[in-house]
Amino acid sequence: MKPQSLLSSINPANEPDALASYERAEIDASTRGPVLLFFGSAVFWLLVGSVLGLLAAWKMTHPGLLDSLGFLTFGRIRPAHLNAVIYGWASSAGIGTGLWLMARLCRVPLMHSKLLVSAAVFWNLGVLVGVLGILAGDSRSIEWLEFPGYATPILFVAYACIGIWAVIMFRYRKPGHVYVSQWYLLAAFLWFPWMYATANILLVWQPIQGSAQGAVNWWFAHNVLGLWFVPIGLASAYYMIPKVIGRPIHSYYLAILGFWSLAVFYSWNGMHHLIGGPIPAWMISASVVASVMMFIPVVTVAINHHMTMRGHFDALQWSPTLRFTVFGAMAYTIVSLQGISMAIPSLNTLTHFTDYTIGHAHFGLYGFFSMMMFGAMYYIVPRLVGWEWPSATMIRWHFWLVASGVLLMVGALTIGGILQGLAQYDPTVSFRSSLDYATPFRWLRGISGFLLLAGHLVFATLFVQMLLKVGRRKEGPALFAAPADHKPEAAV
Amino acid sequence: MTAGLVLIIGGLVFLSGSAVLAFCWAIRDGQFRNLSAAPLTIFDKDEPVGLPTDRFPSRK
Repeated sequence: MKPQSLLSSINPANEPDALASYERAEIDASTRGPVLLFFGSAVFWLLVGSVLGLLAAWKMTHPGLLDSLGFLTFGRIRPAHLNAVIYGWASSAGIGTGLWLMARLCRVPLMHSKLLVSAAVFWNLGVLVGVLGILAGDSRSIEWLEFPGYATPILFVAYACIGIWAVIMFRYRKPGHVYVSQWYLLAAFLWFPWMYATANILLVWQPIQGSAQGAVNWWFAHNVLGLWFVPIGLASAYYMIPKVIGRPIHSYYLAILGFWSLAVFYSWNGMHHLIGGPIPAWMISASVVASVMMFIPVVTVAINHHMTMRGHFDALQWSPTLRFTVFGAMAYTIVSLQGISMAIPSLNTLTHFTDYTIGHAHFGLYGFFSMMMFGAMYYIVPRLVGWEWPSATMIRWHFWLVASGVLLMVGALTIGGILQGLAQYDPTVSFRSSLDYATPFRWLRGISGFLLLAGHLVFATLFVQMLLKVGRRKEGPALFAAPADHKPEAAV
Repeated sequence: MTAGLVLIIGGLVFLSGSAVLAFCWAIRDGQFRNLSAAPLTIFDKDEPVGLPTDRFPSRK
């Protein structure tokens, strides 16, 4: 390139291209400490959560398994699994991804790193105290809020720190357009502490009475998905898919329509968990309507991601990030449409008390969100440690193990759940006998747990190797470059 | 029951309401004025449109 000015001829770093690259590297580097801390703890809790989940799954077919000790009984293992993966794995991975994306998109180096490091410490302390509390028998028995009352304030401190940080970052962003991912992240970081505090005040610290508890419970639990995990997952997809293939998203209009319709209507969805329950009928009706309205944000996202990918599906062969992210994006569409259908009362009566619901939950949290997070981590970690992933083979193993694992689990639970539900409809079949229809599929679910755990072990090994910088340093910028056979295309 | 309902309905209104307020701010700020340029904001001079930025590690 011809030198632009005297300054740039003296120092090549002043060339515009190099400058952009230097700026981005500096922003990435500023996020290193907190993001790696959150990612590292996420991987740790992923392993803990997988073991707990595997044990819980096999207890469904072998009820007496390892029951001699109190803390290994199903009633404790199951909520410990749920909370370890929700708060330990998924939230930590989501926060790490969110911090990195926020700094990149605001185009300023990460500020107040110490605030975030202390948030990470409090976070892990909270999850540890909470999981041990559940295993010790102090579970609150409120789904998604099982952590005992002495663990939640610790978590809240961490959440609040991150929420405040997000507002500060947004306030000090470089002027210009606010990208759709930033909206999603800001929404998630702002709403979550508020939801969490409300639910804890109303259910744990000063419990309200009667069936209103159920309303609060499901308002919270559903919003955790829709206003915490979904925005973070979609923020990642809206950045990773265009960035990896080098093509702007298909329709920005659809992207903002999708975000704002989610933002305004999602929080009304939770009551559909209580169809047929003893709360005012209009609340359930309003919630069913809002759930069906989710068709709009879901379909806009689906169209957008598909049309952006169209003609670029070969990229799935050469990009690990894209492979996981696109799997997650497809799962998002399917699981959301499935969720909408489950909110329709006539179908809900079939699926409500069956394994179908468990399959749906895992498809959402694993098929969509966890896969999105794996994809994001494959992109982010090399940029933080300045090191290339040590083994393509291991990444492929990771992908195929977890992809087949989650599909097997969801498929088995879905079919088993439908058979179980049909048996419950049949007045000649006792409730006890209706469970027998699900049993063979619970075996399959237990097997899928081994696949998932094996995949997680592969990923954890890769992650530790990255931290320790195992292997030979790769020369040159191959890390971030296009494959040799790929010709850059004209602007699309 | 009543207090809980008031809080829950308040919660719905707060969450949805904060989104409506943010939406109004975004319109006033001109965030929706140029939707064809907006998706390009994630690209840079050195990572332009057309350049893939991720791949499997090489075998060497």
